[in-house]
Amino acid sequence: MKRALFSLLLAATAFAQVRNEDIVKGPGADWLTYAGTYSGWRYSPLNQITAANAKNVVPKWVYHVPGARGLRSSPIVYQGVLYITNTNSVYAIDARSGRLVWQYADPRAKEGGVNRGAAIWADKIYFTTSDNYLVALDRFTGSLIFNRKFADVEKGTTSTSAPVIAKGKVIVGSAGGDGGMRGFIMALSADNGDELWKTYTVPAKGEKGSETWGDLIEWGGGAAWLSGTYDADLNTLYWTTGNPWPDYNGSVRQGDNLYTCALLALDLDTGKMKWHFQFTPHDTHDWDAQSWPVLIDTQIMGKPRKVVLHANRNGFFYALDRVTGEFLRATQLIDKITWAKGIDDKGRPILLPNSEPTATGNWVCPSVKGATNWMGQSYNPGTGLLYVLTLEQCGMYFRSSQNPEPMKHFSGGGATEEGGQVVLRALDPKTGKRVWEYPMTGAGRMWTGTVSTAGGVIFSGDDDGHFVALDAKNGKNLWHFNVGELLTASPVVYSVDGKQYVAIASASAVFSFGLFEPASGVEPPVIQMKK
Amino acid sequence: MRALALALLAFPLLAQHGRYLSDSNNPAIGDPKAIAAGTKLFMGSCAGCHGPDGGGGARGPNLVRRSLWHPLSDDAIFQVIRKGVPGTDMPPTKLADDQTWHLVAFIHSLTGPASTNPVPGNAAAGKDIFWGAKAGCANCHAIRGQGGRLAPDLSNVGGSRPLAVIRESILEPAKDLSYLGNEAATVELKNGQTITGVAKNRSNYSLQLVDAKGRLHLLQMADVKKLTISESTSMPTDFAKRLTRDELRDLLAYLATQDIRLETAKGSK
Ligand code: HEC
Ligand code: HEC
Repeated sequence: MKRALFSLLLAATAFAQVRNEDIVKGPGADWLTYAGTYSGWRYSPLNQITAANAKNVVPKWVYHVPGARGLRSSPIVYQGVLYITNTNSVYAIDARSGRLVWQYADPRAKEGGVNRGAAIWADKIYFTTSDNYLVALDRFTGSLIFNRKFADVEKGTTSTSAPVIAKGKVIVGSAGGDGGMRGFIMALSADNGDELWKTYTVPAKGEKGSETWGDLIEWGGGAAWLSGTYDADLNTLYWTTGNPWPDYNGSVRQGDNLYTCALLALDLDTGKMKWHFQFTPHDTHDWDAQSWPVLIDTQIMGKPRKVVLHANRNGFFYALDRVTGEFLRATQLIDKITWAKGIDDKGRPILLPNSEPTATGNWVCPSVKGATNWMGQSYNPGTGLLYVLTLEQCGMYFRSSQNPEPMKHFSGGGATEEGGQVVLRALDPKTGKRVWEYPMTGAGRMWTGTVSTAGGVIFSGDDDGHFVALDAKNGKNLWHFNVGELLTASPVVYSVDGKQYVAIASASAVFSFGLFEPASGVEPPVIQMKK
Repeated sequence: MRALALALLAFPLLAQHGRYLSDSNNPAIGDPKAIAAGTKLFMGSCAGCHGPDGGGGARGPNLVRRSLWHPLSDDAIFQVIRKGVPGTDMPPTKLADDQTWHLVAFIHSLTGPASTNPVPGNAAAGKDIFWGAKAGCANCHAIRGQGGRLAPDLSNVGGSRPLAVIRESILEPAKDLSYLGNEAATVELKNGQTITGVAKNRSNYSLQLVDAKGRLHLLQMADVKKLTISESTSMPTDFAKRLTRDELRDLLAYLATQDIRLETAKGSK
């Protein structure tokens, strides 16, 4: 009896289903969400690769994603299979050998924007097409289980983010926004794609907050390009919102333009907004808030707090109380900031003159790319540090006097950027201060995120196609590998058969690395062909 | 032959995908009247080279199962008919725009996804055949989450394959290329375990096998004692005898509606 039960259990674990508690627990062998954890840490407790032996890291396999040119996808890994997305397609790859298991493609989808990754729940892999279908696939075979359209591409909305799934709810957001649209965050049933709730990021005419807009409120933007984080205890989602529209022309939308360039705290069950915090009121520089809200518990100003950390495109690094939304502190994320003197004690920027886009242009720092962007940051509980890719860059901002027309991709002006230096910075969440920094080689293009491990190693990409390992304590370079093209996504860590791997998508391929092992020859297998 | 089939297999799917990337919005596409007019024109001016069903002849290539690798869109077909292919036997024409579109609509009806063309038969009756015991299709194939996992998923068969190709896959499966990912396989492991299923992929070093329950096994060939691969398809080859003409027509009508781009699970169980 006991024995039978035991083998039953074994079978059950061998083909387990992904549950809420598995994701809450965080990564181990598996990497189950875009950021690894609901809290957005991009941290792995695996410690086989250490600062001492990282010099022995070698590539284990490469998978060239057919037709890919700028992968933005962060893989997820479950039970030895790595799932990566490209535009309107998913690839399941044997995470040990790099061999393709299945692929799913929907080449007739309208639009063709980037895709940031898949999600997993129970036995299904989820992703969204660029024209807003939620697609659920059998994780073993890639068979379609269901697909459901959740928004109209004709209304300016596309989809790019990796869904986040919690308690059977698939949370998706609306991309788009630079041509005018009304942003939203939505929960769909993981069982059949039914809509459970939908929360707009811009109020309707007459609703609270609509007084912060003009006539174009219906096209106000506030996209959700990126997925967010989730606090299971507070049952709260933390989602950031995009810029207002038209991007560079603020004269047609006088006011703060709620809830753009903000962080929203939403109730997971109802989508109700618990609180909001706007980083950049009335943004005119395309500094959307599309960077990760990272959830940690720490001492701030002498008090233990549940905190949400946020490194923003506008150049400042924020800490908020994630229960109440109270502003705690903001420090400078980058050195060159010319549009604001600082952040006041209510959390509002103290503006400096000559920063608005004009017909002849104003030179402002940071540039339109922002001080950081969507690439994943990493929080390492071992060092207590947050690792953020930052960009020191300035640019010209122009405003057009043309009348804004929704859906015409008219962003109300334009921007240029010049030169620039990418710097990986280790920040102390307690103080908001920089502990060390690692200036990167490259041309200021900056697209790679970070991952860090209990082995005391950070993996990230240089700005010129080198995948690098740094010492998490001091930022010392430990190892590098040239992937031969730009790195445009964030790395993840997993293990198979007790061996640790770190994988990242480059522009056109997925690379997986591990510690060197001498090769052992393989006998040709016995294969019989049967009529 | 088999080696050739394997060598080709990485691409047919992609090549076919390429074909359907840009279907035109021209109203002639999928319009029965335009297709009928196009059929007439085709029989008169084109069938001599391309065969009456577009299946290829001595002087013109097969338009249905294309061997040319460049993708073809409705607009490209329009241009080919108008301008010909210089340096080959394919002549230019002087047809009016609407006549040219009638021809495009006809060629689209042969080569475009079944779901974008008028298809005869009763899809509801075909649904019963697909899910019923007599044909047993669902033992192996799945549509929108229901059915077997050992054969290709058919949720998008109407949205990705021309009707003629679906018909041929059912009536003459052995004629089709059995591409990697569908090989029936039995593996004996060195630890004594035996697993039967479909090899999704394999090399001399690793094997990715889905078993009859639809579960994936990631194996190292170093752990394999013996691998047996079936040379022929597991898709039954006697449906031409087992199904009546009407049953086949209705089954095809049902499969033609299987398109992941159609709102909701139109044809699903
Ligand atoms: C004299 C023989 C001949 C006639 C008549 C002819 N074709 Fe062709 N057609 C060809 C040949 C040969 C090619 C292949 C050209 C090449 O090598 O790319 C071709 C190519 C094509 C292609 C492109 C196929 C592909 O896969 O790229 C289309 C479409 C086509 N023909 C349609 C027509 C239509 C419609 C007509 C009647 C108006 C027609 N053809 C009449 C010989 C002919
Ligand atoms: C015993 C399993 C089995 C049964 C029963 C079966 N098939 Fe198949 N079928 C397969 C396999 C395996 C393939 C893959 C192609 C190959 O091996 O050549 C296939 C291929 C196909 C294809 C081509 C798929 C593609 O992607 O182009 C179609 C269409 C199809 N089957 C339809 C049917 C229909 C309709 C029925 C019922 C009348 C049926 N099959 C019954 C195993 C089966």
